[in-house]
Amino acid sequence: MSNRLMISAITWVGILLFVPVLFGQSAAPTSTEPHEKWNDVVPLNKSAYAGKKSGPAPKRDLSGVWDGTAEGGGAYEGAREYPEDGKPGHEPPYTPLGEQVLKTHKPGVGVRGVAVEIGNDPVNICDPQGFPRMELYELRTIEIAQTANQVLYLDQFNDNWRIIWTDGRELPKDPEPRWNGYSSGKWIDDYTFVAETVGMDDRTWLDNSGRPHSSDLRVEERFHRVSDDILELTVTIDDPQMYTKPWVAIDKIPLHRQPKGFDMREMTCAPSETLDYNSQIGARTATGGDWKGR
Amino acid sequence: MRTKLMAVALGALGLFGSCAPAFAHHGNAAYDYEKTVVVKGVVTGYIWANPHVYLKVDAKDESGNVQHWLIEAQNPVAQANAGWSKSTFKPGDQVDLDVMPTKNGQPIGRFRNRIVINGEVFKGPGPR
Repeated sequence: MSNRLMISAITWVGILLFVPVLFGQSAAPTSTEPHEKWNDVVPLNKSAYAGKKSGPAPKRDLSGVWDGTAEGGGAYEGAREYPEDGKPGHEPPYTPLGEQVLKTHKPGVGVRGVAVEIGNDPVNICDPQGFPRMELYELRTIEIAQTANQVLYLDQFNDNWRIIWTDGRELPKDPEPRWNGYSSGKWIDDYTFVAETVGMDDRTWLDNSGRPHSSDLRVEERFHRVSDDILELTVTIDDPQMYTKPWVAIDKIPLHRQPKGFDMREMTCAPSETLDYNSQIGARTATGGDWKGR
Repeated sequence: MRTKLMAVALGALGLFGSCAPAFAHHGNAAYDYEKTVVVKGVVTGYIWANPHVYLKVDAKDESGNVQHWLIEAQNPVAQANAGWSKSTFKPGDQVDLDVMPTKNGQPIGRFRNRIVINGEVFKGPGPR
């Protein structure tokens, strides 16, 4: 081999070794748990997890498929800690404006619920539910992955995804609205990751019962890795326009880690399917009322 | 046989009767949670789709007239987690179902937990 050829070979080896470092990537991890199935399902009851021994929490690691189904992650009547069921203590601390905007929202559930056809829930026509409704409404199966500068949050419900930046960037001051907002997060200790999100589109609802939010909404998510198998999530709502003080919408819900190789089933809100459902069922179940939605 | 089937069905109803109501994504205001009607008939269609899975059943009312029922469950993911699949029902199946009816009297309802398909009690949990 000539010297030129040797130099060229060494150069290419160097480049190939350097590229992953340059892009902050490590080699793709491999699973040691064989997994043959597609379209995996999750346990419905938390008894499925009872007595299961878990390893210790890994440091600074949220990665995995996590599920809140068995812990009541599907909060149909409103935020998990504040369902709109008319019971004392379940009403968030509305400002006068918050109460006013709430009255314009006609959900299909809760004490103010109306039939789908005469409601105005954006989700009924496949509009994005946005953040944080994706957590306050349907916290079921999510997958979290980490890169060198991001936490990637993949939500099965409506095939939604978010990026939480971990490169230290500040949140935008006057952001162009996004359905899922702008998220930045950091580890406050080896087992607790805190993400802050702003810039959410105020056309979205906060939860399934139509709680309002403004463009000033700020959401804190606190992910606490309790063990290898449990990730605890707390979500705090702070929106001075709509609420007189911050309130904890989800308080330490345990999310259970699913087996490696878990294949999340697709769940897309297809407008044609929704149109079919709304015309076949939604329109025909309307019970009337003096308010007319969209 | 019929008595045995009824006993099994009532047993299943008792087993699941204490479960929380099957809330739906798109709203429950149109349904009467206090009522249960029994729908017995023939499956004419099974729509395994978002936002909600639903079943079409032709069933005779008390006067002998055929009613075209639409009975909804939840989304395919929630139903799959509960043991359902795209082939749980097929056209021509004889079904015997407990159904939560609408408030407005339309032949539309929501599955409760007693589900009998071609004489067999369906063992998957009901809609969640």
